Amino acid sequence: MLGLATGPICLASCGPVVLPWMLVQPQRVRSHVRQLSIFLGARLAGYLAFAAVIWLAGIALARSGTARSWIMGGVQVLLAVGLLIYAAAWPHARCGFVRRRKNDLVQIDAASTATPKPRPTGAIALGFLTGINLCPPFLVAGVRAAQLPTLAAALMFFAVFFVGTAVWFMPFLSLGVVRRTPSFLTVARMAAVLLACWYGFTGGSLLIEKAIYG
Amino acid sequence: MASRVLTRPPALRSPAFRSIGRSVLLTLPMALWALLMFTPSFRQPGRNLHIGALLVILFMTALFFLMMRTGKTYRWRRYFFVALGLLFPVGFIASLVAVRGTMSIPIERMVSGDTPFCYMVIPMLILPAAVTRTIIFPGSILPTASNPHSIAIMIGLWLALTLVVGKAWCSYVCFFGGIEEGFAALPKRMKIRKLDPRLRLVPWAILLFVVVLSAALFEPVYCMWLCPFKTVTEYPAVHSVTTAIQMGIFITLFAGLVVVLPYLTKKRTQCAFFCPFGAFQSLFNKINLFEIRFDREKCVDCTLCQTSCPTMALSAESIREGKTLLNCMKCGACVDSCKKSAAVWHLKGTKVALKPERARLLFLYGAWAMATMFGGSILANSISTIIGFLPLR
Ligand code: SF4
Ligand code: SF4
Repeated sequence: MLGLATGPICLASCGPVVLPWMLVQPQRVRSHVRQLSIFLGARLAGYLAFAAVIWLAGIALARSGTARSWIMGGVQVLLAVGLLIYAAAWPHARCGFVRRRKNDLVQIDAASTATPKPRPTGAIALGFLTGINLCPPFLVAGVRAAQLPTLAAALMFFAVFFVGTAVWFMPFLSLGVVRRTPSFLTVARMAAVLLACWYGFTGGSLLIEKAIYG
Repeated sequence: MASRVLTRPPALRSPAFRSIGRSVLLTLPMALWALLMFTPSFRQPGRNLHIGALLVILFMTALFFLMMRTGKTYRWRRYFFVALGLLFPVGFIASLVAVRGTMSIPIERMVSGDTPFCYMVIPMLILPAAVTRTIIFPGSILPTASNPHSIAIMIGLWLALTLVVGKAWCSYVCFFGGIEEGFAALPKRMKIRKLDPRLRLVPWAILLFVVVLSAALFEPVYCMWLCPFKTVTEYPAVHSVTTAIQMGIFITLFAGLVVVLPYLTKKRTQCAFFCPFGAFQSLFNKINLFEIRFDREKCVDCTLCQTSCPTMALSAESIREGKTLLNCMKCGACVDSCKKSAAVWHLKGTKVALKPERARLLFLYGAWAMATMFGGSILANSISTIIGFLPLR
């Protein structure tokens, strides 16, 4: 219930990452289903990892402002890097964000509609990072999980919380039918760069503030 | 990308397009409209306001007459638009200083909703309002004594004007675009000629960015971080590193996009390559009745129109297809500059170039009426403010 009720806030927190990332995917509903499933799976992994840490470390961690700022700042900077890689369609196949054909050394032209089939690495990285991004409902759930008697109960609690929030991500699948024109892809990439700048700025300033003032 | 240099604005080179008598006759409805619009100003006390209203009636009527007489649109519209862009901040700042004593707004007043509503916020309101029924702007929804420019009134006005003129809002209504149009008009030649055509997609990316982030943060992100016009209107009081960074961004954007780049490129760079509201407004070109088309039988692909377009709303392909791009703001520069009369005003649903002057007239009556109503009252107010500052007895 908590997940369902706080879904719009989760959506608001993760939407700025999911939307540009989905928009640069190829125009196929199947591909969107696959990518979103991987993303949500990675997000679940992030949730469970957080649940385990919070249960082991106790409620103090969930309530610690300093720890929260460091984690949030770090996660936001990493999200910025992830979005930037996506926006630039990083030419190195090894990073796994974009799958390229063998011997294809040409960098993806920003005006190309032939978006290559993406590898799961990008979805996993962004999914996991949004999974541990400490948004307000997530922290409420963290406090509740830390109070549970067993680790299994805490994990279970977060898994159910995840299901509640995941429902809110389904509308993103409709983006699979939106026609990808060269201009559309360029706009999506530009928006991803802007959002990366935003996350980099907010995450970076959080980290700097913590480093200076403690 | 066209690299031809526009040495002169589309000029009054052709012989008179209409006789004086016919021009006067066609101007008469607009003159009456202007009188009607400003009758309430004459009923109010205050000599300065009366002078302001009278000058605006004469100014708007004279410009419309010249449009009729010469057949040129852009050249005369530009006088109005630049005057609006330059005078709006004068009236606005004067009233801010009169009411608050400063141009900056303290955070308490912002929280209490004591902020005039600006149409730039409209695209950012839609998502949060649809999902949570919350208006993410700290203003009053209905008019109050201290803040008559309420959210409901501004949105209603915007909708009405937009339905009439579509993206032409950006050429006839917006009180920001005129500043850069003024700077773009100053140099004789373009100093920077080559511009990447992908730049015209940036406003769409910024639109996506501000809409998504405003919904996520529940605040109008554009106003908080990106509005260049905060520099000449109302800005948050600088009391922290964050507000100092915000001011730095506002001033940099204003200097770069509204002053320096328009001067170097002779384009409205803020409107063409940045403004998310302009991108949003482009969508209404789809439903608006008027557009610019190109008569392919007359067109010689000289690209003069493309070079003269202040917002890069034309490309070689679009001209070949006989159309503008979606971001055309119906300023008329391309029509004025075309020596072959191939660029024409067009009423959707009719045959292209059949009666272009009729389409132009119909469009101009609507657009100029809106300009007189909205921009004219701003001009009158600013003029009366300026007269108030003059040492006259
Ligand atoms: S593009 Fe934006 S700033 Fe320019 S005229 Fe249109 S609304 Fe105004
Ligand atoms: S295409 Fe013509 S009318 Fe449209 S913005 Fe450009 S110059 Fe103005």
